[in-house]
Amino acid sequence: MTKIEVAGEMLPMRESLAREVEVGWNRLTSPGTWWSGAERLAIAAEARHAKTCKLCQQRKAALSPYTVPGEHDSTSDLPPAAIEAIHRIVTDAGRITEHWILSLIEGGEMPALEETKYVEIIGIIAVLTGLDKLHQGLGLAPRDLPAPIAGEPSRQRPLGAKRNLAYVATLAPEDVGPEDPNPYPLHGDKNIHRGVSLVPQEVFNFFDLDVELYLKDHEIRDFEHDFRAISHAQIELIAGRTSALNGCYY
Amino acid sequence: MTDEAAVNSVPHGEILMALVQAVHDGGAEAMAVARRAVRVAVGDAAFVDTCATIASFSAVVKIADGAGIPLEDYKEEATRDLRAELSIDDFQS
Repeated sequence: MTKIEVAGEMLPMRESLAREVEVGWNRLTSPGTWWSGAERLAIAAEARHAKTCKLCQQRKAALSPYTVPGEHDSTSDLPPAAIEAIHRIVTDAGRITEHWILSLIEGGEMPALEETKYVEIIGIIAVLTGLDKLHQGLGLAPRDLPAPIAGEPSRQRPLGAKRNLAYVATLAPEDVGPEDPNPYPLHGDKNIHRGVSLVPQEVFNFFDLDVELYLKDHEIRDFEHDFRAISHAQIELIAGRTSALNGCYY
Repeated sequence: MTDEAAVNSVPHGEILMALVQAVHDGGAEAMAVARRAVRVAVGDAAFVDTCATIASFSAVVKIADGAGIPLEDYKEEATRDLRAELSIDDFQS
């Protein structure tokens, strides 16, 4: 165990969780596959800002959120389609439709956003949400976004990715090429692991953190052992209620 | 089993659920009360793991919904009767 300071008190935290929190922050600031480190941090800042966006609040309250026009309150100079994607994923992910995603990546009302860039945005927001919610739960203020790390995105799209599972193209385990990062042997290959596999590094980025927040894939149904300071039953009760409150029925 | 019965069947379930709700709602006072209750009931290490689980399931929904992944076949089979009873498949996007 290591210790973290919360409001003047030292709380115990698993060393592996503390380590992956730092890795998560470092990856947010580093060049990604399709966005630079500065752009990834701009996406993170925009994601935090989206929670106070008036248009998003109007859409969230609307029975038909896709009929509410307007402009987002934005803090960045990211492309309009990226801002729309960030705000919708942060504030109303449960009502995202395939039609909306296709309108973003095919263009129309605004210049198209590459599908790979959309998928990387999902990964960035997922990691940021995990890091920020951990802080919020513990009683810590959101961590300041650090300075970006310089460098170029790697820009490698898996050749075997296909749009045959989700709203976005994904990379099936049998289609992973020798040049692709392969997260499946480490993290598993259920649909949730394949969600952002069009950008394989984002699977690592999220699940390297998530297996320490929650459980490793092989631990989830190992009811002979408890891997945390709370029991399997307690973990699943927390998981179920959190998912329900977030409107997640996956 | 009712929702309340499910919560009560898990040790300290009600206290844990109060923290989940408070973190979701975001009220500072309610979160402070709920944090203290969890720490007293289950200890500090368990409190940290509770917060970590909340963080995980607040985050993973972004991947599920943002990418639009379907349920696996085994999950679909396991929830078929419940989904039919609720007519929930009528609300697919």
